[in-house]
Amino acid sequence: MKKALALLLALTMIFALCACGQQAKSEEIIINFPSVWVGTDSKAPYMEQLIAQFNEENAGKIKVVVEEQTDYQAARDKLRTTITTGNTPDLCILDTTYDIKGYTESGKFMDLAPYLAEGWGKDFADGSYDAWSVDGKVCFLPFESAVFTPIYNTKIFADIGWDHFPATYDEFFQFCEDAKAKGYNAMGQMAGENAWSSMLWYSLIVEAIGGKDVYADGLKNPAFVQAAEVLKQMYDYTFDGALSAGAGDVNGHWLARDTAIYLNGPWWVANLYKEDNAVDGVLLADDCEVALNPTYTGGKGEGGLVTTVQAFLAAAEQSDPAKKEAVVKFIKYITDPQHVSELALSSGAMFFVKYEPSADTNLISQKLTGVANDAAYTIIHVNGAFPTAFSTEFPDAVQQLIGGQVDAQGFVDLLQTAIDNAA
Amino acid sequence: MKLERSDRAPLWAFLTPAVVLMVVFFVIPVLYVVGISFFKWNGIGPATFNNVKNFTLLFKDKAFTRSILNNVIWALVAGFIQVPLAMVMAIILSRKPKGWKFFRTVYFFPQVISGIALATLWRAVYNAETGLLNGLLNVIGRGDLACDWLGGIKTAFPAVLIYWIFYIGYYMVIMMADITTIDESYYEAATIDGATDFQQAIHITIPLIRRTSLLTCVTLASVMGLRQFEQVYMLTNGGPANTTSTIVLYMYKRLQDSNYGMAGASALILIIIGVVFIICIRKLFEGRSETMAPGKRRAGK
Amino acid sequence: MSETRVRPALQGKELILALLRWILIIFFAVYTLFPLIWLVISSLKTNFEFLAASPFTLPAVPQWQNYINALTVAGLGRMLLNSVIVGLAATVINVVVASMGAYCISRFRFRGRERIFTLFTAGILVPLNALMVPYFVIINKLGLYNTYGGMILLYCAIGIPMSTFLIRGLMDSIPMELEEAAYIDGCGFFGRFFHIILPLSRTGIVTAATFQFLTCWNEFVFANLIVSSEKLRTIQVGIRYFTNQFSTDYVSMYAAIVISIVPSIIGYVLFQEQIIAGMTSGAVKG
Repeated sequence: MKKALALLLALTMIFALCACGQQAKSEEIIINFPSVWVGTDSKAPYMEQLIAQFNEENAGKIKVVVEEQTDYQAARDKLRTTITTGNTPDLCILDTTYDIKGYTESGKFMDLAPYLAEGWGKDFADGSYDAWSVDGKVCFLPFESAVFTPIYNTKIFADIGWDHFPATYDEFFQFCEDAKAKGYNAMGQMAGENAWSSMLWYSLIVEAIGGKDVYADGLKNPAFVQAAEVLKQMYDYTFDGALSAGAGDVNGHWLARDTAIYLNGPWWVANLYKEDNAVDGVLLADDCEVALNPTYTGGKGEGGLVTTVQAFLAAAEQSDPAKKEAVVKFIKYITDPQHVSELALSSGAMFFVKYEPSADTNLISQKLTGVANDAAYTIIHVNGAFPTAFSTEFPDAVQQLIGGQVDAQGFVDLLQTAIDNAA
Repeated sequence: MKLERSDRAPLWAFLTPAVVLMVVFFVIPVLYVVGISFFKWNGIGPATFNNVKNFTLLFKDKAFTRSILNNVIWALVAGFIQVPLAMVMAIILSRKPKGWKFFRTVYFFPQVISGIALATLWRAVYNAETGLLNGLLNVIGRGDLACDWLGGIKTAFPAVLIYWIFYIGYYMVIMMADITTIDESYYEAATIDGATDFQQAIHITIPLIRRTSLLTCVTLASVMGLRQFEQVYMLTNGGPANTTSTIVLYMYKRLQDSNYGMAGASALILIIIGVVFIICIRKLFEGRSETMAPGKRRAGK
Repeated sequence: MSETRVRPALQGKELILALLRWILIIFFAVYTLFPLIWLVISSLKTNFEFLAASPFTLPAVPQWQNYINALTVAGLGRMLLNSVIVGLAATVINVVVASMGAYCISRFRFRGRERIFTLFTAGILVPLNALMVPYFVIINKLGLYNTYGGMILLYCAIGIPMSTFLIRGLMDSIPMELEEAAYIDGCGFFGRFFHIILPLSRTGIVTAATFQFLTCWNEFVFANLIVSSEKLRTIQVGIRYFTNQFSTDYVSMYAAIVISIVPSIIGYVLFQEQIIAGMTSGAVKG
């Protein structure tokens, strides 16, 4: 036993030493790219193929090394730490919860505006990147978009006796009553984890009440208080235990066909078409229909859509011009309309790059694109519209609202305090 | 032992590696955190001196004061309920009942399983609709007690705390190892005097491990209670309404906000509370007179 | 150890106590085995079964595919190896350094001893999440980012307070007379350490080593932070290969978890016999 241990130890040391000795030696430019589009992510298969193809085309000159980051929260923690300590990755994927203004002003990120001005910018939807520029600098390039609009189960609707999706929130709650009477959950809410579903519903209600300019005065707009009342009411029509529920619970109920309405981003569409989720051989997608956010009586919203920038591409500032060119080349490669079209087809996700959708696109995705194109205006979801402290506080605020510790005004106050403390 | 001249050089040679690691990985980083706690810093712009504002903000925040309360409860329950339970089991198993080796191994399993698995399991147990706990209550005819355990303001914290209490494996193993070193002749003498197992435990075993492994375990368990993070993060993320929040979880959330100043301040407060705890526990265990000097027991033969 | 006590037939109070004892033993066994069994059963379901049905039912058809997924898709084999390398190296170095330190603190009186001891104890309390930024900087500055060396060093260091605490606790209970006698016999600093203190504090060392190894094995935050290459990823990173922002493949994740705990359990069962052997010999020497 002792000998075996000693041997094991010696081997370990040798291994450790060997690993220390490994160093890159070629002239190749290495681009390190921590990516969350790996593992079980719907964009993973095509991204892997795309990057391999890029590396092959640039063999000996540029090599993109992907650092697989599957755990989303851990990926965020690491990105924040690397950026703070001045080790920003060559290319990273960020979302709206990062301090975009501060990051842009810090000079740690590469300004892509000159390259976009050279004509590359025409590939992107009008104004998409201008909206995120700071003093003319485009460090955060909006890449993946998302629309949030309800999807409903027509079979359940028929069972409840409804042939259409409610057009107003008054009608919506009538539907909820009918659903409840038939033993269905009208929709899935969750206040556990990051309260994702409730955050999306809240955004939808905020849009319906406050309209296009709801974010103009921060949380001061009365729409936020009113919307909190509506959100609270919705909790009467969701499954038991929503207060502690997570994404797994919401998805589980929707898959179990006991919930009438589902709200999530377009990346979820692929799951509707999965054989694994079919019941008696019928795909869930065959019973699904895309709906629009109901309007609110007396509200300012009309034909608006809640969206977000699901992912920005941002590159670290480079001192070496050759490396700078290499990084830009890679970003252009990823955002190439042809590649994005394929990526959209394979994943169901939506993008800011203008592309010709493939004829093979599934029906639900097509409808979602239609909804996006027809929208009178768009607003971003609440997590994206406010600083990170808002999204950290949101689950807790919802729990207090539903639990009755605070009223609607108190709910908004909690969020405001959180933002103030962090500012 | 008094330090002899010839021992001085080797002593420092022995101490240096540990001290260097401590300085590099604890003293310097903690000083950095302490420093940051007096600043306002978002991790990207310049840091500005903030005096004690981070601390006043912390104590104004109900979520933080609730976290402190939770941690203190947690530490007390861990030290004074969980460890005594572990001690009882250690005493029982060290009497070598049938299959004791098997049980000793099995009790340790939860320590080996990764935290994610335990958290998902207990989320499932406490689930309002499909949960095992509500199922059991229905079976025994107390379905009226069924509820959303992790979602209720009153039930969430006890639920998170109680399932944890019974994972005693680690402390039990430490104390069992200690109990096994007690000289068998004490028990032989006691048995001849007609003392029952229970009396032997009270008069021999517990006094003998009190200042060694029992003290170690109580300290350890309390510290673990104060540092509680992973399970709460995955079970409830501090909810509902912060009733299950802990200091480390609170700190982690401030880090997510890139609010490094308040994160540092909460870390500092945790360390201070911990030091107070450790001192109190030592005082408690050293305070009362000892019937038998702990060092003596192995010299029985 | 021989059974020398004579047990009279159980009666009355004794019987109740014996019954109570077995109730406790069985309760804890069920309580601790339950997560493991649940995990194995869950790992054999489909995601649809896991999400849409009750979590406490049996799978219709056991999905061994999940295990194949875990092993091939996530590349768990390599990760297990990395975890073993890092875990063993960090544990051995940690325990050696900690026992040397604990020996000095426990057995000698010198200036600064109290301060050093306080420092070590306070170290147990530090919430490591708060130190992500400084640790990242330190590992980078040492040129150890993305190396086994970096992980080993960091794991070894973060476990020092706990290991020292555990080992010192045991060393404190070794009678001074033993060491003093050896000293009079002409036994030097090292002699006393290797021949008297180390063998007698074996239980403490093994306890610390177990704790340290499990900490390394289950550590995730820093494993992800200070390593970027797939080749160096450890098992905890592998387990999270199946989680994602919006779609977690729960069942494959459970399969990965089962795979990750099997070596720990086997290692523990094997090692446990060594603990007992160590303790018995220690007792005889005493």
